[in-house]
Order: sequence, then C-alpha cells, then structure tokens
Amino acid sequence: MSATKRIFIFLAVAVILTSSLAACQQNTQPAGSDPATNNSITIVIPEDPPSFNPVITDTGYDSLVMELTMLGLTDIDQNGNVFTEIAAELPTTENGGVVQDETTGAMTVTWKMREDVQWSDGVPVTADDVIFTYNAILDPNQGSWIPGIDYIDSIEKIDDHTFIIKYSSVYPGYLTQFGGEQVVIWPAHYCDASQGFSAWDCARQPLSNGPFKLEEWVNGDHMTFVKNENYFETGKPAIDSVIVQIVPDQAVRKTMLINGDADLDMWSTEQMIDELKDVPNVEVSMSPDNRWVMRIFFNLAAKGTTNPIATPHPILSNVKVRQAIRMAIDVDTIAKEFFYGYAKPAWTEFFRPPYVCENVARPSFDLEGAKALLEEAGWTDQDGDGVRECHDCRTAEEGYPMEMEFITYSDYGEPLELTQQFVAEKLGGIGIKLNITVVEGSVLWAASTDGGIEQSGNFDMDIWDDGYAGIDPTDYLQSYYSTDAATPDNGYNYGRWSNEEFDSLLEEAYTLDETARLETFCKMATVLDEQVPEALLFTASNADAHSSRLQGVQSSTNDIVTWNAANWTLK
Amino acid sequence: MTYYILRRLIQTVGLLFLLSMILFALVNLSPGGPLAGQGQSRHVQPEKVELLKRQFGLDQPLPVQYAIWLIGNDWMKVDVDGDGVKESNGTRQGILRGDFGFSFRTRKPVLEEIGERLPNTIYLMSITMLTAILLAIPIGILSAVRQYSKFDITVTTFSFAGQAIPEFWLGLILILVFYAWLKNPFTGEALMPSGGITTLGLQGFNLGDRIWHLALPVLTGALGWISWYSRFMRSSMLEVIHKDYLRTARAKGLPRWMVLYKHGLSNALIPLITLLALDLPYIFSGAIFVEYLFAWPGMGRLYYQAAEQRDYPVLMTVLIIGATVIIFSNLLADILYAYLDPRVRYE
Repeated sequence: MSATKRIFIFLAVAVILTSSLAACQQNTQPAGSDPATNNSITIVIPEDPPSFNPVITDTGYDSLVMELTMLGLTDIDQNGNVFTEIAAELPTTENGGVVQDETTGAMTVTWKMREDVQWSDGVPVTADDVIFTYNAILDPNQGSWIPGIDYIDSIEKIDDHTFIIKYSSVYPGYLTQFGGEQVVIWPAHYCDASQGFSAWDCARQPLSNGPFKLEEWVNGDHMTFVKNENYFETGKPAIDSVIVQIVPDQAVRKTMLINGDADLDMWSTEQMIDELKDVPNVEVSMSPDNRWVMRIFFNLAAKGTTNPIATPHPILSNVKVRQAIRMAIDVDTIAKEFFYGYAKPAWTEFFRPPYVCENVARPSFDLEGAKALLEEAGWTDQDGDGVRECHDCRTAEEGYPMEMEFITYSDYGEPLELTQQFVAEKLGGIGIKLNITVVEGSVLWAASTDGGIEQSGNFDMDIWDDGYAGIDPTDYLQSYYSTDAATPDNGYNYGRWSNEEFDSLLEEAYTLDETARLETFCKMATVLDEQVPEALLFTASNADAHSSRLQGVQSSTNDIVTWNAANWTLK
Repeated sequence: MTYYILRRLIQTVGLLFLLSMILFALVNLSPGGPLAGQGQSRHVQPEKVELLKRQFGLDQPLPVQYAIWLIGNDWMKVDVDGDGVKESNGTRQGILRGDFGFSFRTRKPVLEEIGERLPNTIYLMSITMLTAILLAIPIGILSAVRQYSKFDITVTTFSFAGQAIPEFWLGLILILVFYAWLKNPFTGEALMPSGGITTLGLQGFNLGDRIWHLALPVLTGALGWISWYSRFMRSSMLEVIHKDYLRTARAKGLPRWMVLYKHGLSNALIPLITLLALDLPYIFSGAIFVEYLFAWPGMGRLYYQAAEQRDYPVLMTVLIIGATVIIFSNLLADILYAYLDPRVRYE
C-alpha cells in the first residue's frame, strides 16, 4: 500500500469516527416540555449551580434554582420584611411564639407550620422534615454549619405541624435561621441521610415543595423546570416552565436578552443597566438597597503581622490618618464616573431597614481637612518629593515615608479597579503614596494556612465590598469588628481592631427588644464612625435585567431574584 | 518496533508518576485555596473551615494527601467526625483503582463530571480539526503548486491574519455579526444561534440543527489551525516538488497531476501527519475561549472553572488526562512516522 493511500485511509477513519460520534453524542434537549411556548421563560446564568443547596457552596446560582423549587420556614422581601413560607405565622414575644427564661437567658421558639404544604410527590411537609434537616446539618462527618446553629440546644416535635426550637441564649436571627436565601427544609422521606447533608443526591435531583420542580439538568447546558402542580398557593405559579440556560459570556447574555431569546439575566452591572435603559423590550429591576458596601480595610498591625499591640502599623495605627484617608475620597465622583451614577454613598453599616441609624452624618469630602489631619498626626512632606514622611508622628521612625500597598480583587471587574486607581491617584495628590495590586478573591480571602493575604495580615489597605446578609447584622458585626474575631482564621476582623466599648455593645445587641437593639446599633455606628476600622464608601447597584414581557420581577438585596418567582406572570 | 513501543510504554508510566507528583504539588501550593469564599460569600465561616478541611482531606500533610489521592485511604483508619480519634477506615480508593475523588464544588464524583463534558469536547474539537485539515491540505497544495500566484499571495496574507486573530475576539465578532446584526429574512430571527449544541426544545437528532450550531464555534476554532496547517503544507510541498526524483518522474513523461499526487503529496504529507498526531490532545482538552463564548459544555470550561475555584480533584484529573494524552500522542506520532515512511526504523 502506498503512503498516500495510507494517509487517506487514516483521514477516512477519522471522518467516520467523528461522524459517528456526532450521531451518538448525548441528546441535550429537554424532554417533555417545549420552551418555545409563550408561557415559558428563559433565565441565563454564567455557570451551573453546584447543587440546590446554597449552604454548601453559596455561589448565588444555587440560591437561584433553590428559590424556584424549595421553601424555607420564612423568607425576606426587598424591603427587609420577613414573610412566611412553610411557617403558618411568625413567632414573636407578643404572640407567645417566643419565650425567654429570665433566669437562664434561654429562649424557646414555637413554630406552627402550614398544613397544606406538600412535596411534589404529594407527601405533606411536616415537623419531621425540619428535625431531619437540622440533624443533617449537625452531622459532624457530612454535615455543615448555618449561622446561629451553635445556639440551638434541641428541636422537638409537638405534633406533625408544630415544633419548638430551644436556644441556649437569645438568638436575634431566629426568624430567618431556617429560611432566607440559603436554608430550606429537606424531605426526610426522600433524602438519603447516609449520603450526608453536604453531598446527598437530593441536592441535585431535589423533591420540590416550591412553585417549580426540576425536570431535567444537562450539565453545563441547561436546566428545565416545570410547574409544581402540588404547590400550596392556589393558581400559582402562572408560568408553565422555566429554562435556566448556561451562557458564560456576559456580552452574549445581554445580546440574548435584547434579541428576545432570554427573559432574565441576574446581577446586571452598572454598565449593562446603562446600556439597556433605552432598549424597548428590556427592563431593569433595582433593589431599594444593596447590602454590599464598598469599603477600605485598614490593617492596624504592621504588614505581615497580626498583632496591633505588639507590632502596630507605622501609618494606619493612628486614627487621624484613617479619618484623613476617608475624608480624601471623593465618593460622588467615583459613583458618577465608574458606576454610571448608580452607586449610592454609604458610610455606616446601619443604613438599611430594619436598622437605620441617622445619628451618624455622612463624612465630608474635604482635601484640605484631610491634609490638616495628616499634619496633626505628624505626617508632612519636608523633603519635597511629594510623599509625606513621619516627623514626630509617634507611630513610625522619623522620616518613614507614607507609602503603602493598596490591594483589590480582580473578580469584581473594571469599575472596582478604576476606583482603586482613582483613590490611589487622589491620595497620592495629598502625599499618601499607594502602590496598587490586584489579586484574585480566592487569594485575598484564603485561610492564613493557604497564604490568604488578609488572614495573614500581608496588606496595608484593601478595597472590596461586603455587608451583612438578611436583616440581622449581629453575626456579621461579631465576625468583622469583635475582638474575638481579631486573630487569624477566627473571623474577618482583618485590621485586628479591638475596642472594649464596641465589644460590650455587641453583647447588648443580643436581645429581643427591637427598640433597644436599634439604640445599641446606633451607638455602635458612632464608635465605628469615630474609630474608622474600615472606611465605608458606597453601595453599587443591585439589579436584574429582564424582558418586558416578564412581569413581577423584583430585585432584592435580601435574596436572589427568583425569591418571588411564584408571583411572576407573562404579558 | 514492538520492543520500541513496549520500552516507550514503560517509560510513560514512570513519566506519568513523576508528572503527577509535580502537578499535585503545583496545584496545591498555588496561591489561594478552596476554603476561600466565592460567589455570594467572601469567606467560609471559621466554623465551616475545619469541617470542610476534614471532608476534603485537606487536614492532612501534603505528602499524605498525595498518597491518598494515589492509593486511597480505605486501608487506613481516619478521623471522620473531627474528635481527634481515628475510628473507621476511609472511603477513598485512589486513582490507581479508578477513584479520582469528588469535586469540591459539586460533591459529585470527578469522573461523572468529566464524563458529562468529554464527549461534547471531542465532538466539537474533532470536527474543528477535521474541518481545518480538509481545508488546509488543498489550500497548502494549491499555494505550493502555484507559488507566487494571486491565489498564493491571497492565501498567505489571510494565513498570517488567521494566525494573528485571537479566538476570543473572532468569536465575539462572529456572534455580533451573525447573531446580533444579521437576521433571517424569512423568520426575522437571528441568522445563527449564539451558542449551545442544539436548539433547546428540539426533539430527536436533527443534523441540520447540529451543523447550524457548529458553524460559528468551528469557524472560530478552525481558522487558526487552517492558517497554520496550510502554511506547513505549503512549505512541505514546496520542499518536495523541487526534489530531483520529481523532475525525473516528469522527464519520464508522467502527467503532472500524477507526479504531484503519487510522488509529491505522499512525501509532503508525512510531516503534517506527525504534526496532527501531536495536536491530538486538543481534541480532549478543548478550547477554553470557544467553549466559553459559544456556551459549549466542554472540558475547557470545566478546567477553567476548576482552576478559578481551586477545585483540586477536578483540576488534577483534567491535568492528568491531558498529560497522558500528550505522552501517548507523542508516541503515536513516532509510530505513525515509521508507518508512513518505510525508511524510518526504531531499534
């Protein structure tokens, strides 16, 4: 056989193999439903949800599909109001649902459940399911952790639709502990407890008690949901099927929305909101508030160390310097230039319902004031090189230059990187030299044992966004500002700020008296405003773009956009 | 030859073992880790971290983690509940017994994840490569035979452009033109789909729909290869057609096409086939940009996601598969070379 013939045989075999592969290749169409019908919608997201259990991964995409299919005891609306899902009513001190033992401080919460909520196989949702879920989370081998679970002593069944949760002390977040955007009730008769809460199959093929049920999941391609005929709200959902299509590229998702091939693209950026504002068949739903506050974290310990008493930061350990930096940042220009005017100034943790503190005024943008503060703190530029030096600053050696590293994370994208550059440039103008660095979030926030920059204290100043989820800030405040959380891998008090007054206020916040709580939070707001362990700057938008034909979409910072999917309609 | 292949296979085992150690160390020692928060969470709560370390096996020293990844831990006692007491045998069998572990992200067995993606990648990449070959070979031959003609100059110009255009740019432009701008005049819908393998909701196998969905990703992926292979074919053919034996064949009175096909092409194709064998790994590893832009659920996207989210077990498996395919492709290239060119002998 000649070489040419051999080569052509080789190529022919390749052609035949490829063609047969195309024919055998898995069929990726959803079976049974036809998404082309008018009563179906398509949601586009960039990656598959890891599962239907956001407690395990919390990517947001797991919450998106979870909210379509599963219910918790309660959930939170866009204005911070808690509403019932499986629960029949909200237990409170007033209605006798919450009882506190004055001597031990222990708290007992009695939950009554709706009797008409069923799983999609017709089995009723009962107290056994709640206890099953709690025990599964608690499993030391394959379980997980949810906020406040350590406060629970036990959960006891009273009857099929009533149970009590016994807490060792007051836990203010009890209303949404088994609800919100993360925690749902899992079916005891369907999930295999031996597989464990973190890995069980029912988190990928869930039994639904929500408005929709999963019909098909083709990994990396799409998921098909159809109406759950056993959903407890009569007449809902109004939409027959939901296709969740995986489209990684943002530009493609936006074009699909404009072309009418997609009905919802969650987490729209400010640039996208701006581009879509004049597109006739697209609307953007905005949340009244956004919990993610862009902020600067100051390291009070010297870079590379984690103890601000033993090794204080030569520049940032002086509160006047931190105040000066906050004063020199022009938030309004950042909001206008890099966030298309959709960012709102935020200067305290307590800016959204139900805890709004108006006792703390917005810090003024005042370059001259900032310079004066720096000079007061002993930082002046005497050698004329444009960078201030320590001259009797008392936190550093004489002549120490005011030069620091300023880090942000790349995952957020261009607006944050531009903000970082802008802040560095403006602070450079008043003699604070910032060298900017951009790293991946997984490097910035990794554990200190994995070389995480913040946990190891390997930073001077960082800028990124965070804020408490839901409506109870106590766990968040504990993790970010308490002295307990000021050691590596023990919380997120990266600046290692410690303040006795704040710690004692934090203890006072663990009360069921809402008026006292607000008062305590507002006192905390004053301490944080004076001490500036972090400089809070602004919130970006929290928005979701959707087709005009899809009605009822309400973006919410308290939950993922599908939180009210049962109420959506098509026009 | 058999002895040569056997010797190479034995060397391969040692090489793979060494590679697996290096890759394991690189993956685990790279900055960041799976315990950093992602998506909605900036952090994993400290309460969760200890639990996750145990569940992922990250509480062991790195050499022990490597040993467990390789040979499993079902023969040794482990502490499953974190009380410090090693009470029962582990459940991992190790890759040598076909257990590649579970994904940190989805908690699904890694092989299941890869099994869902690999056929899609082989499907896309083999058609892309085949398209590239079927177009590049005739273009290369024609260019060589008509050297310095208008055709040759045009092809040469486009080849350089084709090699220079990045895939992510070309893909976006194609989507913009064929999905966003151009409409089907009869239906008013987009002329081409924005991505995916098939139209959602379409029942059964529809060849036309498959081709419709393949067109843009294949064009994006193949352009670079067409340029590269056609240039290679052109220079390989040019080298051959100026050889004495071709002139002799022509002098003996053989028709030009027969000289080119029988004596020229058969020799000019040999180096190209070797090159193709060396490019075989792409069929398994996929093209990240093409899969990303055209929403193609393949290995490239899986790898990118695993790298981004530090999903070590998935990352290691994809890398090991890649390394194995590269090593075997090299072996295949050597064997094919000997098969196609009878002058080559391995002793």
